[in-house]
Amino acid sequence: MCIVYLAAFLFSLTSEQCSSKLIEDSSQSFMERMHSGKTSFIYFGNHVNPTIKLFVEQLEMSADALQDYGISVVKVNCSKDAIANYCTGEKLMTRAYLFRGSEVLRSFDIDTVFDVNAIVSHVLFSVLFNEVRYVHTPAELLRVESTAKQNSDIVVGHIPVLGLPEHRALMEAAFVYGTKYQFVQTTGTLVLKHMGVVDPSSSQARLWFLHCKGVSRRSDPCPSTPMRKTLNTINIHTFLQLMEAPLVTESVLDPSEVDVVHMHLGVPVLYLFSQPQTQHLDRATAQTLALQLRGEVGVVLIHRDSPNVKTALKYNAAYRLPQEDVTYFTLNSAEGVVKLFKEELLQEHKLEDEEEDEEHWSDLDILDDEVSESVYRDRDLMLDLESVIELTSHTFQTTVTQNEITVVLFYFKWDAVCMAFIQSYIEVADALEGMNGVKLAAVNCGEWTDICSDQNVTSFPTVLIYRPMADAQLYRGMLGTKSLHGFILLSLVSSPYLLSSSAEVMSFLEGDLYSKHMYLTPVRVLGLFSSTHDMGVTPFEKAARLLRGETILGLFAHKEAEQWVEGLSVNLPALLVSRGPGVPHEVYSLPSSSPTDLVSLIKQVELDRFPELTVENLPWYLELGKPLLLLFIGKEDSTESTKALAEIKRPLSSGQLDSFLPCWIHLGRTPVGRSILEKYLGFVPPLPVLVMSRLKTGEEVFLFPPERPLMAKNILQWIHDVENGHEQPAVPGISHRLPLPCQSWHKVF
Amino acid sequence: MSVIQPLLRLLCVLSLVLGGSGSGSGSGSGSGSGSGLHGHNSSVSHEYCVLGAGPAGLQMGYFLSRSQRDYIILERNTGPGSFFQIYPRHRKLISINKIYTGRRNKEFNLRHDWNSLLSDRPDLLFQRISQELYPSADDFPRYLSMFVKELGLKVKYGADIGRIKASDSNGNQGYILTDQNGVSYQCSVLLVSTGLWVPQQVDFLGSDLVEGYESIPTDPEEFKDQAVLILGKGNSAFETAQSILGRASRIHLYSPSPVRLAWQTHYVGDLRAVNNELLDTYQLKSLDGLVEGRLEDIAIVRREKDGGRRRKAKKRSQTSKEGKEQLYLTLTELLDLNGNNISKVTGQNLPGFHTDNFSLRQPYDRVIRCLGFRFNFSIFDGSAQPAQSSGARGRLPGVTAWYEGRGTPNMFVLGTAAHSRDYRMSAGGFVHGFRYTVRAVHKILEQRYHNIAWPATKLPISQLQSWILRRVNEASGPYQMFGVLGDIILLRGSYCEYLEEFPLQALPQLSALSGRPLTDHGLLVLVMQYGLNRTDTLGPGRAESEWTKAWRSNFLHPVLYYYNSLPTEKDMRQRPVGWPLPRPEAVHHMVEDFLTEWDQPISHSQPLRRFLEHCLQTDLRPFYAESCFLLSLTSRTPPLFCRQGYLRKQGIVGNSHLRQHAREAGLMADHQGDVTPGDDTSVSEYLKHAGAAVVSTMNFDL
Repeated sequence: MCIVYLAAFLFSLTSEQCSSKLIEDSSQSFMERMHSGKTSFIYFGNHVNPTIKLFVEQLEMSADALQDYGISVVKVNCSKDAIANYCTGEKLMTRAYLFRGSEVLRSFDIDTVFDVNAIVSHVLFSVLFNEVRYVHTPAELLRVESTAKQNSDIVVGHIPVLGLPEHRALMEAAFVYGTKYQFVQTTGTLVLKHMGVVDPSSSQARLWFLHCKGVSRRSDPCPSTPMRKTLNTINIHTFLQLMEAPLVTESVLDPSEVDVVHMHLGVPVLYLFSQPQTQHLDRATAQTLALQLRGEVGVVLIHRDSPNVKTALKYNAAYRLPQEDVTYFTLNSAEGVVKLFKEELLQEHKLEDEEEDEEHWSDLDILDDEVSESVYRDRDLMLDLESVIELTSHTFQTTVTQNEITVVLFYFKWDAVCMAFIQSYIEVADALEGMNGVKLAAVNCGEWTDICSDQNVTSFPTVLIYRPMADAQLYRGMLGTKSLHGFILLSLVSSPYLLSSSAEVMSFLEGDLYSKHMYLTPVRVLGLFSSTHDMGVTPFEKAARLLRGETILGLFAHKEAEQWVEGLSVNLPALLVSRGPGVPHEVYSLPSSSPTDLVSLIKQVELDRFPELTVENLPWYLELGKPLLLLFIGKEDSTESTKALAEIKRPLSSGQLDSFLPCWIHLGRTPVGRSILEKYLGFVPPLPVLVMSRLKTGEEVFLFPPERPLMAKNILQWIHDVENGHEQPAVPGISHRLPLPCQSWHKVF
Repeated sequence: MSVIQPLLRLLCVLSLVLGGSGSGSGSGSGSGSGSGLHGHNSSVSHEYCVLGAGPAGLQMGYFLSRSQRDYIILERNTGPGSFFQIYPRHRKLISINKIYTGRRNKEFNLRHDWNSLLSDRPDLLFQRISQELYPSADDFPRYLSMFVKELGLKVKYGADIGRIKASDSNGNQGYILTDQNGVSYQCSVLLVSTGLWVPQQVDFLGSDLVEGYESIPTDPEEFKDQAVLILGKGNSAFETAQSILGRASRIHLYSPSPVRLAWQTHYVGDLRAVNNELLDTYQLKSLDGLVEGRLEDIAIVRREKDGGRRRKAKKRSQTSKEGKEQLYLTLTELLDLNGNNISKVTGQNLPGFHTDNFSLRQPYDRVIRCLGFRFNFSIFDGSAQPAQSSGARGRLPGVTAWYEGRGTPNMFVLGTAAHSRDYRMSAGGFVHGFRYTVRAVHKILEQRYHNIAWPATKLPISQLQSWILRRVNEASGPYQMFGVLGDIILLRGSYCEYLEEFPLQALPQLSALSGRPLTDHGLLVLVMQYGLNRTDTLGPGRAESEWTKAWRSNFLHPVLYYYNSLPTEKDMRQRPVGWPLPRPEAVHHMVEDFLTEWDQPISHSQPLRRFLEHCLQTDLRPFYAESCFLLSLTSRTPPLFCRQGYLRKQGIVGNSHLRQHAREAGLMADHQGDVTPGDDTSVSEYLKHAGAAVVSTMNFDL
């Protein structure tokens, strides 16, 4: 690695050997850097794992790119030079910082600056923070426009996803042209609509040039020109050059002699011949055409009366495509020329499109659903079913009665969902191998169709739990390794767990009995009855058997049970829910009802009041049908996150959030949360961030204003504002209707 | 005294009752209500009377007995399946008894077992009796006897029903059957499964000189050096020819239509390759041959010996067999029909006199009629007479699409006799086909007379695709009864009802026959079909392997029809030629498969899913729980798979290995490289941990 001193004191030879411009700082050089006042992007690390290695590679590449902007890219090896504040703490390894001198302009999660494009775009965006305006709404854009009018032109970039090459191209352009034009960046679709984009749902990056400088009156709108090419550095550069070029160039030379900037930029040129008699009219026509073709075609008005012009009189126009000769033609109408360019000359991709159409069929050979495709990719993988007993018609009955618990998977070999699940199933079987009393088995319904029909299995995959002398129990949980494994282990716990003394109850809730199964679930539900003769005991026991494997249920039918509800507003029989030692118990009165009603009651009281949403538990909470008050917190457990969680908890206990489901997503444990944020807002703001999502009513998503501190009273105020319609919903928000997958079934008759 | 008198009276009444019930039970072999009412032993009544204890009758008997109906099977012979005691004459069944299929799927294996009847006994299969691919005919009655015995079916042997007449029972048409002893059977529903056993004859001059298939000797030695003309070109004709091929001098087969080969037409009633050795000797010019011509135009004449000698004595004498008379085939138009005197046949009456190279100019020692069988219409009174079918030369009774006799309500025709519905089309005339139609008729009976709707499996739509694939890959009914029986899927929004093996031609009457109402969500029909465009069966391009051209499939393959609403009878009548159903809103062919395994993801599953998506206008793709999590939080209506799986807490989690595949394929959201490395390890870590904890605290019995 290059060390800054080497780079400084040894000349070219060294720097050639060290092709990377990434600098590694010692604590001394770091101190010097802090005093230099220069801008640097610094990463502190202490060891290398595969993710970090990838990041450092990207960091090296960005060093080359950022050098052009006078920004040094530095890494500090904390295991060698422990720099105070940065080399310690949990953020180490996952953060990079942008310094101007000793001041931290911004810190980035390395997930945000994941590659060279993201590094360059985010760093430049931070550096240009004052120059590039970030707008959300058309109104904000109009404000920018009105200040720029008669002053400077505006470049508006729509970047749907930050950190991608398009974003970098825009930022690089802003760096170069920032003093000349006002740069505006937007991510929302509202602005897109404002700019006249028909299909704002497409995720394409776009750029417009707003001609604000030349507006004659401040009340006039700025005319805009869209850039029609893909957003990259060269295209932006070309486009801005074209915007600078005069609308119409006048010349007295023959078309082949005229030299305009368009030729050098690889843009077609249109030549119009003007007669002295009709000069004004011709000029007007040229202006109109040039406006319509701006950014795509250069327009030159050639004065025919000049002796240098040798074009035959029968032509009144000509065009020249890049790297081609001049083609002469006769112009009948201005529309004709626009049509000629738009529909023919500029349509270089047309042919390719047709080819795509022809290849359409072969595209259909690609599996378009994630489950089938992922299973298909494993098609040469032999499944190792060793730990799972494969049952046949002959062995089924004997096997399922032999063990305390026999778990049986019913599957089809050709069903992708079954084959995806069977991998998890084998993982569970491997984990439980050698455990007494538990056996995992599988029935291939493609062969043993008779077993599957006899067992009334009509849905695939299905998991049934068999115990001797009992009906098969349907496994109703998530079809995944963790859930099934937990279920099987919980199934071994007797349900209900009979408790005979208050001491045992204590032990069940937080003592030895508790810790025995602590690793399975922290929640304990206890049925409290004054005596074993209580009418409610039998249904409770039945419900407990139905919930076997899902919940740890205790039953305390004893005169001492009264003690456990003493001082509470609840009488026996009651249901006591404990969420672990130290957490206050919740108590509910237990109505006399059927076992199935009891099951749903127990499932309901088990739910957390402020849950962390995970892939596994979301369905239980969505069932409540309440709007979500959803807090996204970052990967690292920062103090802000802890504070935010606490702030939401406060109004929770006073019941002020009862019409909502307050919940949170931890992006580290549930990375898909990032995609959710992106879908809601169109971008990922700094975390933590609070949103309200009204899924059921189909209304929109609201973002808690990032500039306001996340405090209980602010949150309540914001909720109030949202409910009164004072808040703007975020865009894009919630999709109302998902598109069908490609409509590729073809009618053949 | 006063106490004893009433007691005595009571005793009298008691003895009367006992006597009455005693005589009743004696008369009616376990019969139902009313048997004792008529006082005589000559009348019994049953809800269902099954006529004939052949395979179809016994098959129906099984279903009636399983649903505990009051039924009787009447059989005139002393055992079941008496037809097979005589036929086929050369004692080899040509129905496939394939025991080894490489599969253990019982339903699938029935696709290749053409002799077994349906029952819930997994071991009551024909293979218990015979292991031969083409078993001996004697094995079949043995199998049927076993079937009757093990299932305890109620068969009354020796009851030869000579007369059937319609009767009115409680306003509904019933039937009264009378046997040779004058015993009459009163039946609310009559199920005619008498088969076809009357030899089909064609009236022509000299038909009395012709021997019948039913009575020819089966010893080939009897045909030694004989010239034989066989009328007919079906399996019985070829079977006969094959048995005498090594003995007869010359075998000619004569019938109106050319030979139709089963392996070309896919109709098992056409000539099976098992019997076709004569095609070889014909094509290799070994003195045998096939000739086409109308049977009604011919005459068989006995040539007077002296009459022959008078003209060309030398020529004739060489083929004559020691003074035995010889038979000539001639045309009716050449005969001088004055008084029908055929004894005065002269050379001029023979075609060879007029056309010197006439194919059948040489005389025959024997002429054998092998023209098949017809339904016995003679036992039906005018009141109960079923109409003759329009097809199959009127040999069969005409039946409705649900196998009820035309004009004879509450009388159903089963088995071979019901073949007019799919004559020369499908397998309804054969055991391996009609065992399924009998089951379908039974379901219709249950609905009509007992209000028990056609059995249906209720499925969430997300399970529909896998259910269709299951049926396509194992179901034997639609496979054997291709184009005739099909599965019906009644769409009901988020779920559907799956009805198996409904007679397709009865689709317009679906609701009434099945008791399953229709909604405006439409329906799907799953049919197995051969291709419509007949190609060279063994030529190049006979099979289609490209799924995008599935509609060009030639071999048996699944086809799905989608209708918005139930087709009407008019739609059904006006359906395109060769189609089993009217033109639907959308049709989908699953490409034929060499192995008949329609389970491949790209060629079979995905095109099927896309078709279903088209019909239901719903995304039917499966999603991992993580994607459902994302979609459930960001859209109002997440995809169906998420709604019916994940949101009901049955999400498919998958492991990180699979999800990585999905991400690499670009099908699953990649959280900007946010995949936590060691996701996999965390789960296995967790498991290790949990497992350890379990092992250390094994004491679960609290």
